[in-house]
Amino acid sequence: MEAASASTSLHHPGEADHHGPPEAHRSSRVDPQLLGMLLFIISEIMVFGAFFTAYFFIRVVDGNPWPAAGTELPKAIAGVNAGILLSSSITLHWALESIRRGNRAAFKAGMLSTFLLGSTFLFIQINEYVHIGFAPYNSAQASIFYGLTGLHGAHVAIGLMILLIVTVRAFRGHYSPEAHRGVEIPGIYWHFVDLMWIVVYSTVYLL
Amino acid sequence: MRRHPVAQMVVVGAIASAIGIAIGLSIDWFPASAAKQAAPIDTLYDVLMIVSVPIFVLVTTVILFAAWRFRMRPGQEQQDGPPIHGNTRLEVVWTAVPAIMLVSLCSYAYAVLHDIEKKHSDQLVVNVTGQQFAWSFRYAQPGGRTLMTTDLVLPKDRPVLFKVHAEDVIHDFWVPAFRVKIDAVPGITTEVRATPDRLGTYPVVCAELCGLGHSVMRTRARVVTPAAYISWLRDQNTAAAGGGAAAGGGAAGGGAAGGDPVALGRSTFTSNCGSCHTLADAGTTGTVGPNLGTSLRGQSADEIREDILDPDKTITPGFQPGVMPSGFGDTLSAQQIDGLVAYLTSVSR
Amino acid sequence: MTAKLRVAGWYRAALFLLLAIGFAYLLVGVGRVAMHYDDPWSDGYAITTVGLIAAPLGFLIGLGCFDYWFYWASGRPTRPEDHSSHGAHSWKDYFRVNTDHKVIGIQYICSSFFFLFVGGLLAMLMRAELAQPGMQFVDTATFNGLFSVHAALLIFLFVIPVFAGIANYVLPLMIGAPDMAFPRLNALSFWMLPCAGLLLSASFFAPGGAFASGWTAYAPLSTDMPLGQVFFTIGVQFAGASSIATALNFLVTIITMRAPGMSFFRMPLLVWANFSTSLLVVIATPFIAASQFFVLLDRALGFNFFDAFVGAGKDGSVLMYQHVFWFYSHPAVYIMMLPGFGIVSEIISVKSRKPIFGYRMMAFSLLAIVVLGFTVWAHHMFVSGMQSWIRIPMMITTAIIAVPTGIKIFSWLATLWRGVLHLDTPMLFALGFLTTFTLGGISGVMLAMIPFDIYVSDTYFIVAHIHYVLFGGSLFTIFAGIYYWYPKMTGRMYDERLGKIHFWCTFVFFNVTFAPMHLLGLDGMPRRVADYAAQYEPLNLMISIASFFLGLSMLIFLYNMVASWRGGPKAAANPWRALTLEWQVSSPPPIFNFDAVPTVVGGPYEYGVPGAVHGIFQSPAEAKPTHAGSVATSPTRE
Ligand code: HEA
Ligand code: HEA
Ligand code: HEC
Ligand code: CUA
Ligand SMILES: [Cu+2]
Repeated sequence: MEAASASTSLHHPGEADHHGPPEAHRSSRVDPQLLGMLLFIISEIMVFGAFFTAYFFIRVVDGNPWPAAGTELPKAIAGVNAGILLSSSITLHWALESIRRGNRAAFKAGMLSTFLLGSTFLFIQINEYVHIGFAPYNSAQASIFYGLTGLHGAHVAIGLMILLIVTVRAFRGHYSPEAHRGVEIPGIYWHFVDLMWIVVYSTVYLL
Repeated sequence: MRRHPVAQMVVVGAIASAIGIAIGLSIDWFPASAAKQAAPIDTLYDVLMIVSVPIFVLVTTVILFAAWRFRMRPGQEQQDGPPIHGNTRLEVVWTAVPAIMLVSLCSYAYAVLHDIEKKHSDQLVVNVTGQQFAWSFRYAQPGGRTLMTTDLVLPKDRPVLFKVHAEDVIHDFWVPAFRVKIDAVPGITTEVRATPDRLGTYPVVCAELCGLGHSVMRTRARVVTPAAYISWLRDQNTAAAGGGAAAGGGAAGGGAAGGDPVALGRSTFTSNCGSCHTLADAGTTGTVGPNLGTSLRGQSADEIREDILDPDKTITPGFQPGVMPSGFGDTLSAQQIDGLVAYLTSVSR
Repeated sequence: MTAKLRVAGWYRAALFLLLAIGFAYLLVGVGRVAMHYDDPWSDGYAITTVGLIAAPLGFLIGLGCFDYWFYWASGRPTRPEDHSSHGAHSWKDYFRVNTDHKVIGIQYICSSFFFLFVGGLLAMLMRAELAQPGMQFVDTATFNGLFSVHAALLIFLFVIPVFAGIANYVLPLMIGAPDMAFPRLNALSFWMLPCAGLLLSASFFAPGGAFASGWTAYAPLSTDMPLGQVFFTIGVQFAGASSIATALNFLVTIITMRAPGMSFFRMPLLVWANFSTSLLVVIATPFIAASQFFVLLDRALGFNFFDAFVGAGKDGSVLMYQHVFWFYSHPAVYIMMLPGFGIVSEIISVKSRKPIFGYRMMAFSLLAIVVLGFTVWAHHMFVSGMQSWIRIPMMITTAIIAVPTGIKIFSWLATLWRGVLHLDTPMLFALGFLTTFTLGGISGVMLAMIPFDIYVSDTYFIVAHIHYVLFGGSLFTIFAGIYYWYPKMTGRMYDERLGKIHFWCTFVFFNVTFAPMHLLGLDGMPRRVADYAAQYEPLNLMISIASFFLGLSMLIFLYNMVASWRGGPKAAANPWRALTLEWQVSSPPPIFNFDAVPTVVGGPYEYGVPGAVHGIFQSPAEAKPTHAGSVATSPTRE
């Protein structure tokens, strides 16, 4: 997670000139922070990959019933929740476009709604845990269910923290049509978290 | 002598390889082999030696030669070598040749693997169970009963299929003389095949780290003549019958209706404890735990019962806690425990 | 005092450390009260587990690793960059958060060598116990702890980080960059390591002893071990996070910060090697993080990932741990070798005064190893009881990996051929590496042959393989690299005579120590045992004696390094007449590496090509790369 806070939060106007002369030569058109974020997302995908491996072994290789006998997964609620999370991606995109166009009001509105939608998702998820009727230690299936959704939930939480920072700064009047990488790059992370949920939802709940 | 360096190297290399291979093959590094599976594996090793030694010799001779012929002489401090950037032909060769060698090695290894894992119709099935830190073996007997022992007894020349289980953590069932091993994995049953072909007694080793007692998790495999095997089975069964089906080992046992507890205790002891404890009366020779013939002198029945049910409560001097399984209270029936206590008190005075 | 506690530094670190522990205590207590557990405030197990996670974070925050980002996050104006945290002006600067890649490089190297000595010392205890059959010095619990911590320290806190350290120092210089892409992330990556190392070492003081399930920590053994296991589970997380962050940093630096004219095929092979390694790290390391998450969840929250006896008896999946673990840990063995390949390529080319033979094939074979490296993990599981068909493809891919590796070995040999070999210490270690690694690699190929592996798996044959590739492979290249860049890093020359003695002692005693282990393995001696059958005594005694001398020869190295740094003769800027950029600046390099970024006009290894130039600098004084540069001008560290 250190890597997370690090490479996500390095992005602010004038990052490039923090080290002394001489100015480094740019040997690639890709922006360093963007590349860093992409690489970080790759390793994030691998973390999920490992959890999906566990899922694969417990469900497919060992052929355990899914979900565990006598348990029920709330497909519908989770589906609604997926919708909520996806819409937060849209509002975030809208916010970014607005600051690009220099429309502060829309930018703030976009950030705020994104943050609220994200929090709603997390709230519903936790609520689901409370009412789902089985605990991680009941069975291996339960363990990997909580494992995967919990891992994703943790990512949502981190994403929310970063979004909160961006939102606060948005209301403090930071960012501008010229300098908005501080919105763009946390944005990429958030979109990744959303896409991940689609994968988790379809494998854990639907399949 | 002013021969071309490459020619010299070939000569030296050839000689060195010959010597290396000779040593590798002439000395037999392996322990005595006692199963049909051993021969192909040992041959595979010989082939690997014949392939590997020349490669290693090649690399080292080139290095030594370079160090000898091309080392910097006084006055060459500022000199550089010829600017050779590469040679496509060479590079193709040293990509292709190893590739071919390796693929053929793999095919050969595959053939060997297929050979040693061949299925047999007349096979004997032995259920092996690993538990911290002892092995136990179960033989299916006519009448649906199972016979349980702590040392492995096998008839010569009969293919055996070992079905391996684990009670707690991962262990690894290995008989070096048979050359084959397989992990004992909790939750699944793993299989390994061997066909003993030499009479004798060979160590059975646990090869997967399984905790404190890993290094002492040993027992013996006895390969006997088919006739001896039959009679051994008979003896065991009668002993078990005397002990009221204690042969059932685990929870199965203990239907000791009327059966005299001492006899039950004795058979339970030989089939559960003998791998670790020496006890003259029971004819067991385990050396992991104390020799109960001597160390139990003057101990009350309760002390002994406690020693069995909660071994780590009192540790015998010179031994360490955590080695003797603490689960016998669950795996053995009440009658069997009583039997053990009765038996051990009877022999310890 | 309070002022001291407010500014980033060791005092604040200590304070935050305590705060974090207190926080953990409260967190656990409150949690358990909420759950209505009895005696919520005195569960040492839970408190330690949470504390082990919180304490390092508290320490890092206190030390100031996050200050800048906190400023930024809070939206307050960040301090204007005054480079106060960049570069070392006194030895004190090595003990604070520093953003200079050269300082961080030294920090990495020194701390990881510290852990080499700790880990090695543990090995010495191990050998003492193994000198004779029977139990002499330690009980089995301690012994299992010894080799587990030995391996964990040497892998996660020596080989992997020391390579990162060397690259940290040299790589930006080599590609003509003023620093790494994310200097603060770089500092954070370093400071996570001492935390991880401390956790692993401290496990010896945990009730029940150090983690004793091997560096592989197979479940379910690791899920029902005493408390010490948690130190491994959590320590590895920090080490892993650190290496992921560094790898990411390297990749971004290499891709976006190369000097003008330095196309990918003009990069020195060390840069290529670290590029490939970083790819491996970024893709593979998350898997070991996950595997340890699983263990932690099973231990701390009672999850059932590995408990195969729940319900029907086939719920948890024991083999899953091994698949996830080896999907990281096989690539990890190349993470521990590829940077060494890079170092050796530099040294062999410079020291035989010839261009590296088949430069492009060298680069491509690295990438080939990266790709193949992800397709062989199950060769560690030939006897694990997994689906038996998986073994066949794994055997083939495993064997094929020998081909790209072979290409590298043979190309190095061809580079030596007809060169002008300077047989000084770095070169000796490079040549020693070629022989020992080839042997270790070949024993690896033998292990790839399933029927043979079925016999020798989990025996000392494996232990021999391990050390031939890790000691004879990685460690030899590390020594070579340290000697080779010593003048550049310290501005001093090491003692050549001691260096040679060190090489010959190490080379001889290394082989006497580890070669007989092959025979022990063939003869059927299992690994990870504190006690063994009497028939193995003679060889074991010999091994133990040799290993003590091996240990002592390490002290020669230690002395040489320390003494030369304090009193060695000043080093020229370019004592090896090398072409790569790091040698074109003073020794040690100026705080910002270059007054102006150089321009690359040719390949890095054009030795013997008349008038060949790799990089040119604005200032004509340094334009002629091959002439031995002037005596160091910038402050030399003493
Ligand atoms: C630096 C680390 C490193 C490296 C580089 C390697 C390299 C290789 N390793 Fe090794 N390995 C380990 C570290 C490493 N290993 C460790 C630590 C373990 C034990 C883990 C544990 O259980 O604790 C292990 C275990 C291990 C096993 C499992 C054994 C078992 O537990 O049963 C196997 C099996 O296939 C294996 C194979 C190989 C192979 C084929 C290579 C190849 O990459 C080698 C390729 C190189 C060469 C072959 C030499 C040069 C090539 C030529 C000269 C060309 C011509 C050669 C031929 C045609 C043969 N290794
Ligand atoms: C880079 C990796 C690395 C390195 C450098 C070493 C170095 C050494 N290793 Fe290690 N080893 C491993 C990686 C490594 N090992 C791994 C991965 C395992 C598998 C563990 C497992 O099974 O889980 C292993 C296992 C292992 C075993 C098998 C344990 C078992 O299975 O029962 C043994 C036994 O001899 C051993 C010995 C040694 C020795 C003698 C050294 C020597 O080279 C050490 C030399 C260095 C020093 C001695 C320190 C410096 C000197 C001093 C501090 C001065 C004091 C010296 C004296 C008092 C003499 N190692
Ligand atoms: C894996 C090895 C192992 C097995 C199997 C084992 N023991 Fe033990 N036993 C030990 C060790 C080691 C000790 C000494 C440490 C201790 O006292 O707990 C011991 C101690 C004892 C003692 C105490 C001896 C004394 O001097 O007080 C008794 C009694 C005993 N065992 C009985 C049994 C019985 C009965 C069984 C089978 C049902 C059994 N053991 C199975 C290893 C074993
Ligand atoms: Cu059982 Cu090792
Ligand atoms: Cu491997």
